[in-house]
Amino acid sequence: MTMAARPESGNGKLKIGVYWAASCGGCDISLLEIGPHLLELIEAAEIVLWPCAADFKYADVVSYPDGFIDVCFVNGSVRTSEQEELVRLLRRKAKTLVAYGACACAGGIPALANLNQPEEIFDASYRDNPSLDNAAGVVPQPVTETEFGELEIPRFYPRVLRLADVVEVDYQLPGCPPQADRVWEAITALVSGTLPARNNAVLVGCTDKAVCDDCPLEKRKTRIGSFKRPHLAVPEPGWCLLEQGYVCMGPATRGGCGALCLKANLPCRGCYGASGAVEDQGAAMIGAVGSLLDATTEERARELVAQIVDPVGSFYRFTLASSHLRGRH
Amino acid sequence: MTTEDSAVLQSQAAASSARIGVFICHCGGNISDVVNVAEVAKVVGTFPGVAYATTTTFLCSDPGQALIEEKVRELGLDRVVVAACSPTLHQTTFRRTVKRAGLNEYMFEHVNVREQVSWVCEDPRGATDKAIRLIRAAVGRTLHLEPLHKRRIPIHPAALVIGGGVAGLVAARDLAERGMKVVLVENRPFLGGRMAQLHTVFPTGENARELLGRVIEEVVANPLVTVLTNAQVINSEGIVGDFRTHIRIDPRGVNERLAYRENAIAACPEETINEFDFGLSRRKAIFMAYPGCWPPMPAIDWHTCTKCGKCVWAAGGKGIELDAQPREILVHSGVIVLATGYDPYEPLYGEYGYGIFPHILTLQQLVRLLDPQGPTGGQLPLPGNSHPRIAFIHCVGARQIEGVQQRQPDGKMKDYCARTCCTGALHAALAIKEQHPGAHIYDFYQDIRTYGRGHETYYERASEQGVVFIRYDPRHPPRVEKNARGDSPLLVKAADLLTSGLEVEVLADVVVLGTGVVPHDISELIGMYRCAVGSDRFLLEVHPKLRPVELAVSGVFLAGSCQGPMDITEASAAASAAASKAAALISQGQVEMDPFIARVNTELCTGCETCLTVCPYDAISRDAALKVAVISEALCTGCGTCSAACPSDAIQQDGFTDRQILSEVEMLLASVGQA
Amino acid sequence: MAQTQTVVSSHAAPGTAWEPRIVAFLCYWCSYTGADSAGTARMKYPPNVDIIRVMCSGRIDPELVTTAFARGADGVMVLGCHIGDCHYIAGNHKTMARMPLLKRMLVDLGIEPDRFVHEWVSAAEGEKFTRLVCEVTERVRALGPLELPRQMREFGFGRGLGSKAWGE
Repeated sequence: MTMAARPESGNGKLKIGVYWAASCGGCDISLLEIGPHLLELIEAAEIVLWPCAADFKYADVVSYPDGFIDVCFVNGSVRTSEQEELVRLLRRKAKTLVAYGACACAGGIPALANLNQPEEIFDASYRDNPSLDNAAGVVPQPVTETEFGELEIPRFYPRVLRLADVVEVDYQLPGCPPQADRVWEAITALVSGTLPARNNAVLVGCTDKAVCDDCPLEKRKTRIGSFKRPHLAVPEPGWCLLEQGYVCMGPATRGGCGALCLKANLPCRGCYGASGAVEDQGAAMIGAVGSLLDATTEERARELVAQIVDPVGSFYRFTLASSHLRGRH
Repeated sequence: MTTEDSAVLQSQAAASSARIGVFICHCGGNISDVVNVAEVAKVVGTFPGVAYATTTTFLCSDPGQALIEEKVRELGLDRVVVAACSPTLHQTTFRRTVKRAGLNEYMFEHVNVREQVSWVCEDPRGATDKAIRLIRAAVGRTLHLEPLHKRRIPIHPAALVIGGGVAGLVAARDLAERGMKVVLVENRPFLGGRMAQLHTVFPTGENARELLGRVIEEVVANPLVTVLTNAQVINSEGIVGDFRTHIRIDPRGVNERLAYRENAIAACPEETINEFDFGLSRRKAIFMAYPGCWPPMPAIDWHTCTKCGKCVWAAGGKGIELDAQPREILVHSGVIVLATGYDPYEPLYGEYGYGIFPHILTLQQLVRLLDPQGPTGGQLPLPGNSHPRIAFIHCVGARQIEGVQQRQPDGKMKDYCARTCCTGALHAALAIKEQHPGAHIYDFYQDIRTYGRGHETYYERASEQGVVFIRYDPRHPPRVEKNARGDSPLLVKAADLLTSGLEVEVLADVVVLGTGVVPHDISELIGMYRCAVGSDRFLLEVHPKLRPVELAVSGVFLAGSCQGPMDITEASAAASAAASKAAALISQGQVEMDPFIARVNTELCTGCETCLTVCPYDAISRDAALKVAVISEALCTGCGTCSAACPSDAIQQDGFTDRQILSEVEMLLASVGQA
Repeated sequence: MAQTQTVVSSHAAPGTAWEPRIVAFLCYWCSYTGADSAGTARMKYPPNVDIIRVMCSGRIDPELVTTAFARGADGVMVLGCHIGDCHYIAGNHKTMARMPLLKRMLVDLGIEPDRFVHEWVSAAEGEKFTRLVCEVTERVRALGPLELPRQMREFGFGRGLGSKAWGE
């Protein structure tokens, strides 16, 4: 596998940046999952920012000329002013900006915090918690007077935002985390110049189909008679989990992961985000699940629906920030 | 208009170079008296994408339509929005206008600013703003319209009529008279249906079976008609133009070589309840339904027959085939006419004493008893004196009220009026009076609905002949009880509304329940043809006024009382209408259907099969090779359910795409959030 | 039911009083014709409910409802034929099954239950339609504006292209 280097980057090597915003770190680790290809990457490319793995400072980034970074992978969602400012900075300093992973693309798990108001979050974290010792009720402040002068810390935003809410994004690489083979395919496509530098949030590292396309289980065209939770029941092998009553997001989730979870007998949780032309993954899934209920009366429909323990958590687990309603009003 | 409005609209219009013409109708003041149409035209004319906006007095008139045609041509408009009355009235009119103007007829949008704006909103400002919003929404939708074409399907030149009662017979006759091939299927061994169970018909007083005989003769004599009796529809597949119906013909057990018919019947030792007489008499296992029935030969009821062979011996060994087998045939037809009729309402045990006290009859049973060819030769079970007492109770199993009558076994109330029983009851009352001039007849009713031509005479004559009418409150129906000395005569009690609630008690030797009607059970046929059914369980027509004999399923027509309570006059008219529509369809050689079908984008389809499970018409199948869903253009009726269910938004419905509807929603709400 | 209060337009310029904006999805065969019959009988109701017609309530994808709220609707109604009366046999069965799940989710997302109404209206029920429109308008009025587009903008959703960067 050869990768064409870009001559305008000085020493002939590609400049790659990786940044993590509101992230768990899993996406950074997933870059290591490309395994031996890592050596190829290191040979052909130069890392110019990677807080998780290398010692670059923000000041270094500020000093880079605009467009200096050829490809910058940003994972994690945006929740603080620091993250927003870095993301904007990186947009200017990078030719190509890739939203890497579910959090950057659609909000990810952190976006579930949009179900609570910031005050509730602060209460739970700093005030109303059995393991806290904070009688004075001290909470973080953006600016604090100290004997050494003013101390500024990043501001906490009222909602978790996606990368595309803050800056123009060129590519999205979905997944929690993105699956290693897809990551390598995307990297080679990007760095070999087969994809244009500036684009419009184009999805890479995934397919045009949903997870069902890769899933080995068989559909029997039955309706759902009751809902089950994966830890409380054993699925019948070979048969579609959704039809069996497990909330499997497969039909409403973009493919590309190879249906890994299904092959391990677990229902898909939807981490690759919405499939097809869908904007709101949860609403699309409701349309499908609702249509498949085994109910001819309203009471029965309500009864079945009550068996789904956490609709928002199930249908919007990774995509609440990209849903139409974005969170709890 | 705010900057956000125009930003949204401009981005929309930038996406297309549409030239929309908006025509707003005054409707002669109906709209313009409330909505400021001049202001609307002015505002709408500023929307990007709109090339022309105007108002006119009557858009549906010839000059109004001519205006549209003229402007389309003159200004090179490529799509039209009309703001006027409800689309249910003139959508088709304006589509044709647009077509004459040279555009595709579906590049057209109709906004309702009368029934849903000017007629319901008193405040002119509110109404005008609403009209502007709705037109803006329509403009948004119109920007994304695509030309569509009606679907055309060839028609097999034959008709299948299911049901051999008067409606089925009239439909078959009319179709054959127009030169169409007809297969008439009757599941009983004899034609005639419920009309054969009558003696005389109102209002002419003619003999029912004689009239029936005339129609039957016309039908069986026509070489274009094939009549199948003892025939059941097993399965039906296909669509308008190409229906394939599997029919099983059960053996009659008797053929035309039977010479000693009466002997054979007399020799039969097995008997059962005679359904023709509503249980008032018994018949043999080998039987003729009624005098003059067709086919004019007996049939064997295999449930009752024990194959003892006595009939064979009595018939001299010829004409009876005890071992005859059923056979199956396939009928290929372009249209189907359903004429499956009704059954009389069977009162619940105890309802007005039915089944508990003797001498309680249903109206249908009374009619059988009054028939000189009936089970008692026309004699009623009355005491021998010259003043027998008969009480009629109207609205049994009809016009029921929640909480007053018991729910039916299927959980529903029979709340509809059964229509024909008022005239029927009075007709029977007069027949009783003829036989027993001294009879005391009491008629307990809610309303007298002798609505038809010549029916009011029965009410007048009944009054003149001394029938006593007692009007009861529907919430307090009459009670039928034993009198102090036993079961006969019975006591019928009610509060008479005509005398302000005076409690009336009447002794009755016979109580006649004016029973309503229910549709004959055709749940399998309903499943096969996917007929819509009303809440009263009768088959549901497309539109009671404009399309009264058509079902939503193309190519299937309704004839007679399967659609709702009606008398023979009305059933006959409906049957002729159905035959006429069916024949018209066949003569066209092909059928045109609305183009609003669903389409699968195979690039996005994941083969998840959600749509296959949800389609009410089984119009979607899976292509195993490509692993995508395939929608049959001919079977799709355009409900859009699959489009909503698809979790990948891979299915779009022509004319109702997500883009079109979303654009409508976005335009509707474009100025929200500015305050 | 006559409405005697003066209705102020919400289509008008900023600064005028807020009026509820309710989007109603109606199926062409029953509920739309039911709304027409209210008009034919000259029943009166406030102009806050705007009707969007589809052929069958089964066409109503939950995404259409969430979009309506996200674009600024204060309330959304979905009306269809009574069960058993669907022109397309069972299209409304799907609606009937989807709506409770959608409602539950909307409530979990903080949309008050009175803002999303799902009902059956037949072609003859002009009076029921009128009553529904009046009731829903008043309930939504009592709840106040939802204003999701403004909230989204304030929270920073969709800001898109960047302006200042850190350090400048």
